[in-house]
Amino acid sequence: MRLVAAALVAVTALIALEDSGPASLLRHAYLVPVLAAALRFGAVGGGLAAAAAMLLSAPVVLPEIERSGLTTEAIEGLVTFAVLGLVGVLSGVLRGRLGRHRRRYEILVTIQRTLADEAPLDLSLARLRAALADRLRVDEIALVACDGERLAVAGGARVADRSLVARVLATGEPVFVSDAGARGRARRAFATPLMSRGRAVGVLAVERTGEISVGERVALEAVGAHVGVALENARLVSCQRRFAAELEERVTAARRELEELDRAKSAFVAIASHELRTPLTALQGFSEILALRRLPPEEVTRLAEVMRREARRLGRIVSDLLDLSRIERGLEPALCRVPLEIEPTIEATVDLFRQGTATHLITTECEPSLPLVAADPDALERVLTNLISNAIKYSPTGSSVRVGARALAGAVAIEVADAGRGIPTEALQRVFEPYYRVPDAAGVAHGTGIGLAVVKALVEAHGGTVRVDSTPTIGTRVTVVLPAPSGPFLDTPRRSRVG
Amino acid sequence: MWALDQPYAPRADHLLADTPLALLAALAVGAGTAAVLVELAVLPPHVSRVAGVTAAHGALLATALAWARVSAASPVIAVALIGLAAAVSQLGVLGSLAYLGPALWVGFLSARGRLTSLGLGTPVSLGRVAAGVLVGTGLSGHLLVSASRTLGVHIRVDHAAEALAAIAYDVGANVLAGECFFRGALFNRAERRWSFAAASTVATSAYLLRYLVDPLLPKSVELMIGAVFYLALLGAMNCWLLSSSGSLVPGLVSASIFFAAYRTLGVR
Repeated sequence: MRLVAAALVAVTALIALEDSGPASLLRHAYLVPVLAAALRFGAVGGGLAAAAAMLLSAPVVLPEIERSGLTTEAIEGLVTFAVLGLVGVLSGVLRGRLGRHRRRYEILVTIQRTLADEAPLDLSLARLRAALADRLRVDEIALVACDGERLAVAGGARVADRSLVARVLATGEPVFVSDAGARGRARRAFATPLMSRGRAVGVLAVERTGEISVGERVALEAVGAHVGVALENARLVSCQRRFAAELEERVTAARRELEELDRAKSAFVAIASHELRTPLTALQGFSEILALRRLPPEEVTRLAEVMRREARRLGRIVSDLLDLSRIERGLEPALCRVPLEIEPTIEATVDLFRQGTATHLITTECEPSLPLVAADPDALERVLTNLISNAIKYSPTGSSVRVGARALAGAVAIEVADAGRGIPTEALQRVFEPYYRVPDAAGVAHGTGIGLAVVKALVEAHGGTVRVDSTPTIGTRVTVVLPAPSGPFLDTPRRSRVG
Repeated sequence: MWALDQPYAPRADHLLADTPLALLAALAVGAGTAAVLVELAVLPPHVSRVAGVTAAHGALLATALAWARVSAASPVIAVALIGLAAAVSQLGVLGSLAYLGPALWVGFLSARGRLTSLGLGTPVSLGRVAAGVLVGTGLSGHLLVSASRTLGVHIRVDHAAEALAAIAYDVGANVLAGECFFRGALFNRAERRWSFAAASTVATSAYLLRYLVDPLLPKSVELMIGAVFYLALLGAMNCWLLSSSGSLVPGLVSASIFFAAYRTLGVR
């Protein structure tokens, strides 16, 4: 500015020294500072420099008009005025337009760069606000973006009801406020929606003490639209990345699960082979003895009893395998439900175990007058057999196993409790999974890992529930709840097939 | 940030709200009556001048104070002080010192923070005051040079007392009322509605109109063109000074310097 002023003064001094009137060739030298001011300060600078040049040369031009009227020299001086004004203002306008275009381009690049990084919305907004504050040359700037039900705000704590930003967010229309309520100098505010797919997803608000011209407002609207699209793109990219990561995580988990299942199945095949082989070996051995030797009748009876028990065991394993096969195919076990008294069923099953084992004390505690349940007798026997068998297998010799039943509202609860080693908490969630065996259980007793899975499937096929409560070193209690419907079903007993 | 925190409601009041219409009507009636009575030779001629000065400057200053929403009595007091100064100044040059009355009244109100909406009593940087000095000096210098070169009007040194009286009139009435109304009140209000360019055009046009209808302005074409030229520049620059500084002081300074320079010329 000082250089421009000095140049104007210097040109004026030279014209005055030359004293050749308004048509002095030196008057063209005014163009240099006027152009410099226009290129440096825009239209206002160019216009002011031109006005200053006119003022400085007026004492040369105007007296000529006063003295001699509109002579050629005077007209040349006036034309110089017009040229200076035009050059100053037009050059300044063009320079200003160029500067605006450059700034707009820089802003767009800034927006893209800022939102290219994957970051949480609040952080992205804060970064974008900082970048825009540098570029937009405003006193205050705020960015608000919708994040589901929440509003993310950069540049303030919150959006007050009935505020300018709230209004723009609600209407989706830009609003210019020429008086933002400040005393002293006039303060302008402008808020424009961040548009994406035809709806406002946020607001860009700026405030400045001084002018926010129409051109700037149009540019800000364009910036708002661009930020809206960029934010939406960033959100979509973030969603896509999150989805991809989640998908990868799920695939990894599924692969891990499949591998584990594969390992479990391999283990199951080995175990099942062993479990099947044991009764088969017994049956084969005893049948050979019976065929080849002549034994006393009581020995024959004993061996026949052993063979019957092993055959039952074999049958149970085969039934479990068949049920498991149905479960894995997404089918429910085949049931034939009839009104059934629980207590005799429990007593009968427990008796079988009492006859077969002398290692544990098995007690029964059934409430009197238990309601009838709608159950398949065979299925219920298998449920009880599995549970009691587990209780015996996983509790120390000499301990007691308690089997009980009590009435609930519209149901009967059957409990099988032992005083065994218990089940670790982390394994409780998985004990009903097929093939799953509690770690280190294999060293304690034989098992296929499908018993509880079959129990669960059978109970749920009855419309009941099963739950395991266990405290390590104290014992385990399995509770089976079966519905006991009242009404016509029990009054007129009939057999129904489920599944 | 205002846009986030404060409730927004579209502006409801109009540009000329709070104008003291009753007071303005009274001033107009008073000035008109005085003019008629002077015309009928019922009153001496200087009464007309006193009434005119009181009505014109009093109306501008009173309106500015009313728009600033000071107490209802303040505009009346300002009018009374201007009228008193106009009357006392008729007694002699020393009487013109009475024009300090309105200036002191405005200064008093500013000191109490009642005129911040006019840009008085607000902080102002020395740089902006210096800019005001520069604008006033630049226009004054150009006025003195071009007046002497083009119009043959030269600086007079034989009417110092008269010039001092005129300067006192400018400080206490002409410049004070003009700047308070056209910049502090009108431009300030207009700028809170429209752009700077529109507001300064409105304020400067009204400022020019006020001087062009002023019976004290010599009615020669050259002088009227000169008045339009300089007053348009002065008005526009004072608008910029107020807008950029938030204070009326730089504009008061520049206008005072310009009119002081004008008073040194022997313009009749």
